[in-house]
Amino acid sequence: MTAADGTRDIIICEGVKKWFGDFQALRGITTTVAEGEVVVIFGPSGSGKSTFIRTLNRLEEHDEGRIVIDGVELNNNLRNLEKVRSEVGMVFQQFNLFPHLTVRRNITLALTHVRHKRKSEADALAEQLLDRVGIPEQVDKYPAQLSGGQQQRVAIARALAMQPKIMLFDEPTSALDPEMIKEVLDVMTQLAHEGITMIVVTHEMGFAREVADRFLFFDYGLIVEEGTPEHFFENPQEERTKLFLSQIL
Amino acid sequence: MAVQTRPISTSPVTTRAVRWTRENLFSSIPNSAVTVAALALLYLVLFGSDPVGQAGALATFDWPDLLGGGLIKFVFDGADWSVVHANRRLYFLFRFPTATPTAANPDETWRIWVILYMLSGLAGASAGLWTRIDLKVAVVFLLLMVPVSLFIGAGAVLLLTGGAVAMFAASYVAAHFAPGIKTYLAVAKNVAIGAWIVAFFVAWTLLNGVDSRLWGGLLLTLFLTVVGIIASFPLGVLLALGRASTFPVIKGFCTAYIELIRAVPLITILFMALVFVPLMLEPDRRIVGLPITGVDFDLVARATIAITLFSAAYIAENVRGGLQSVPRGQMEAAEALGLSTSRILAFIVLPQAIRAVIPSLVGQFISLFKDTSLVFIMGLTDLLEVAGIVTSQPGFFGRQAESLLFVALIYWIIAFSMSRASQRLERTLGVGDR
Repeated sequence: MTAADGTRDIIICEGVKKWFGDFQALRGITTTVAEGEVVVIFGPSGSGKSTFIRTLNRLEEHDEGRIVIDGVELNNNLRNLEKVRSEVGMVFQQFNLFPHLTVRRNITLALTHVRHKRKSEADALAEQLLDRVGIPEQVDKYPAQLSGGQQQRVAIARALAMQPKIMLFDEPTSALDPEMIKEVLDVMTQLAHEGITMIVVTHEMGFAREVADRFLFFDYGLIVEEGTPEHFFENPQEERTKLFLSQIL
Repeated sequence: MAVQTRPISTSPVTTRAVRWTRENLFSSIPNSAVTVAALALLYLVLFGSDPVGQAGALATFDWPDLLGGGLIKFVFDGADWSVVHANRRLYFLFRFPTATPTAANPDETWRIWVILYMLSGLAGASAGLWTRIDLKVAVVFLLLMVPVSLFIGAGAVLLLTGGAVAMFAASYVAAHFAPGIKTYLAVAKNVAIGAWIVAFFVAWTLLNGVDSRLWGGLLLTLFLTVVGIIASFPLGVLLALGRASTFPVIKGFCTAYIELIRAVPLITILFMALVFVPLMLEPDRRIVGLPITGVDFDLVARATIAITLFSAAYIAENVRGGLQSVPRGQMEAAEALGLSTSRILAFIVLPQAIRAVIPSLVGQFISLFKDTSLVFIMGLTDLLEVAGIVTSQPGFFGRQAESLLFVALIYWIIAFSMSRASQRLERTLGVGDR
């Protein structure tokens, strides 16, 4: 469990496979993520990157292989699942804020009902987190009253409220208007520098190059190539990687 | 949230009225044709089919021929409303003891007044805590109340009815303008919800002090409606959740129940409650060793249960539509936060699902209210049944039209209020809409 440089592997995947009916979305993903590492996953649509990130908190159940999150294996054991989910935060492409609840309640709901914190304590934490993502004045509004970029920042604050060890980002800026992408990426960059373990599915290569420790290139349900950002930008090996990079850069 | 703004027009009222008419009623040739046809039909209903005679009456200002020969003339000239006035207690309470109390048969009307005052006070306080009453609506309501109360009562009854309205107003003012209420609003709302639950059981107890065979009229109609709504709503939600369940047994049972009930008319179910229940539950029969003779299986209880079971199937289908309208991402986001399945349902899925189907739910509640008139088939005397009964008294033969119009008005006032309340609720809850 301990890598050569002394850091701990917080995510271990061994031969993870997943089918949707006849379609095999994941064909055997084996990788590890060290604590504090920032991993960026990219690849063409349908390559399994979203499916993979969603298996990490079991929004999708994997059919074969092993996934171990912070020493807890993901299987049908519900207690394990609860433990893992409260340690893994997730940010979605479509934000998925709860539209019938205020921003404050969006953030405090899990604090009061999963972490069993008192309301006053949860409220204080919500205000502190909104301050951190730069929108403290929006605390009593409803999600529909916010811009897309603000909503996504609330979603990040909501995930951070649980003080997760790992944050998963599933294409967090893909649904945003161009002028709002930067405000979300700024928050994520700040997080990456704070040392939280992050797995990000994104095609924002400028951001990725700045924050990522490692890139994973997915295609056809497999990791085709992995390496540092420099490796990908200066010396990609696989033909498919070169082709894809030439299309998005 | 989209803020609706309407340009404030400074032109005179008449100009605006002309413009509104042109834009809404005569915007195209088919639209104009429909407008003219509708006006003609309305005229026919209200004034009858003799515009020439009426024009003559206008020339000589010949009251009441001026009213024509339609509904208006009937209401103001032809009708004898004494049937309603003389039988007002029967419409509202029917045989509830009693207009002519004796030592053996004491007056129990006080129970109704206690319930009415309790509900007026609570309704006023709740209105004060949750919303702001539109002054225009309040004034119109009070103006309507004046002729109605003069009509339904005199002396003590009028005074008590006015008192109930005053109680509503006083509670509203007390709850809405209490010093510092803003600070305690959340607590006050919880107290009010608790008070409603207590009030429900107090009202239940008070009513059950009188044999349910003596309940009737509007009292019975409202009892069946209120208990039917309160009981069938949670049952319907459970059935909808059951139908969405992944457990085959639960899903199968709920689906079968819903489809079975929806395939049968309510009147059949009421009839079965009347005929089959005694067959199954004879007085000396025991079920699993338990004597069931002690269970209160009177007719009103059977009717209430039948209506509840019937309505629950329809509510379940409405709620199912709502459940399907909640995006998958909502569940995923809640799961990713580590919330348990029951909490996801209670805090995320159900609130959004029910909010999405408020109009159809209230539509179902309004149908339930109107469908209670079918309990006549069980020998119960609801409001509509009273309308027929009072006109079989020798003094009021042939006064069915007056009696039915009066009852229709009561049905309309209640159903329309429910509909308006639903619109208001939708607006209040609409704040968080996408």
